[in-house]
Amino acid sequence: MDGLVQFLDYSGFSNITPGHLLMILVGMLFIYLAIRFEYQPILLVPIGFGILIGNTPFIEHGGMALGIYEDGSVMNYLYQGVLKGVFPPLIFLGIGAMTDFSPLISNPKLILLGAAAQLGIFMTYIGAISLGFTNPEAASIGIIGGADGPTAIYLSSRLAPHLVGSIAIAAYTYMALVPLIQPPIMRLLTTQKERRIKMKPPRSVTRMEKVMFPVFALLLTGFISPGSLPLLGMLFLGNLLKESMVTKRLADTARNAMIDIVTIILGVTIGASTQATTFLTRSSVLIFILGATAFMFSTAGGILFARFMNLFLREGNKINPLIGAAGVAAVPESARVAQIEGLKADPTNHLIMHAMAPNVAGVIGSAVAAGIMMSFLL
Amino acid sequence: MAVTGYSVVFLSLFLLALLFSVIPKVLSWNIRRTFDDEGDEAKKALAGNMIPGEVSAAISVAISLYLNELHDQDTAILTIKKVGKSYTPWNSKIYNVINFKGFQR
Repeated sequence: MDGLVQFLDYSGFSNITPGHLLMILVGMLFIYLAIRFEYQPILLVPIGFGILIGNTPFIEHGGMALGIYEDGSVMNYLYQGVLKGVFPPLIFLGIGAMTDFSPLISNPKLILLGAAAQLGIFMTYIGAISLGFTNPEAASIGIIGGADGPTAIYLSSRLAPHLVGSIAIAAYTYMALVPLIQPPIMRLLTTQKERRIKMKPPRSVTRMEKVMFPVFALLLTGFISPGSLPLLGMLFLGNLLKESMVTKRLADTARNAMIDIVTIILGVTIGASTQATTFLTRSSVLIFILGATAFMFSTAGGILFARFMNLFLREGNKINPLIGAAGVAAVPESARVAQIEGLKADPTNHLIMHAMAPNVAGVIGSAVAAGIMMSFLL
Repeated sequence: MAVTGYSVVFLSLFLLALLFSVIPKVLSWNIRRTFDDEGDEAKKALAGNMIPGEVSAAISVAISLYLNELHDQDTAILTIKKVGKSYTPWNSKIYNVINFKGFQR
């Protein structure tokens, strides 16, 4: 009889709290959004399921070593890849092996839009400080505005490890919701005439330029912001594997099997880290609010800077400001949003190739910003 | 810190943009110099102008179609395959049910 009582004590039914139920609903919502609307399913399915794993109630520190925050548990070992910042550079290697920098090389002035769209990072940093967060915490929250999950996880694991779960969930949630967040801001900050601007087709880029880009870009950004080396080093290595054309096998592995494995483990552990007992706090709520603000500021920063650049550009060379919104890194979702909004204004205007330039520049920009923050705050 | 940080992000990406505005010119300068040595003014003038990506794509498609449609040589290999049923115990007359003695009676 005692055994049965003990068994019931250990079961989920006797350990459940309203927080667990809430988080289980959140996990189910993530899975629903991913499957029903295909919002970033590659991320939201593992994260959503991880939330279910992390919020199935059990007796914490009951000797079974089950929870992600319990030393010696399997989930804790997997979570070390997040806490020690191992997974983000591996993901960047895969992203580099997938990314074509040609649109950016063919029209280098669009790189500046990727810089302008980092506005949200620094505005949110100021906002977080004013809400009482410490400097490292505020920087980790601000980086959500870079719209780059791996960068957000990397920086927060270095500066504020206790906030990694909340920041990662906020970053990935807003990245998935880019098609809902960005369009109203894009329409608000541009005129119908501007949305119809047709840009010159990008020129073709030689193989030499494509090979030179990762090498020179790494040296340049690495010298300015060494803190970003783990991320940008792997990003540009992946890209060189792709563009050199002599390491096809390595590039294939990096952009397929490897990134898939890391994404699954990263997604599940990030999801599981939202254990209701440690996740549902006032700071998590504030992080979600600040994260949304960061996304909005970043989108606005890119669009407004594109309009500013147009003041100095000749007719025929003007930039469609919609592609400024793609300067937030969320690759390729924000570029797709620019394309869709462009088509709404003029069904013959295809912006996707142009939007990819600020989009990939945004990845570089957010990693540089993370490096700068690390050098200031560590 | 926010202002400094944002400025440094801008500076690093501005330098990257500047570098990759210059590199194509340097690369095409080398080509132009080659044409200069050859004395071909028409080619030299073209070398500085960047070809739009869609023009390259159209040329590539045209070349690909042209090369794939070339059919001036036959390989002289007959492609008609002999259709024959290979032997298996399942189609053997020896093991056919007709040969079953009890059935013949």
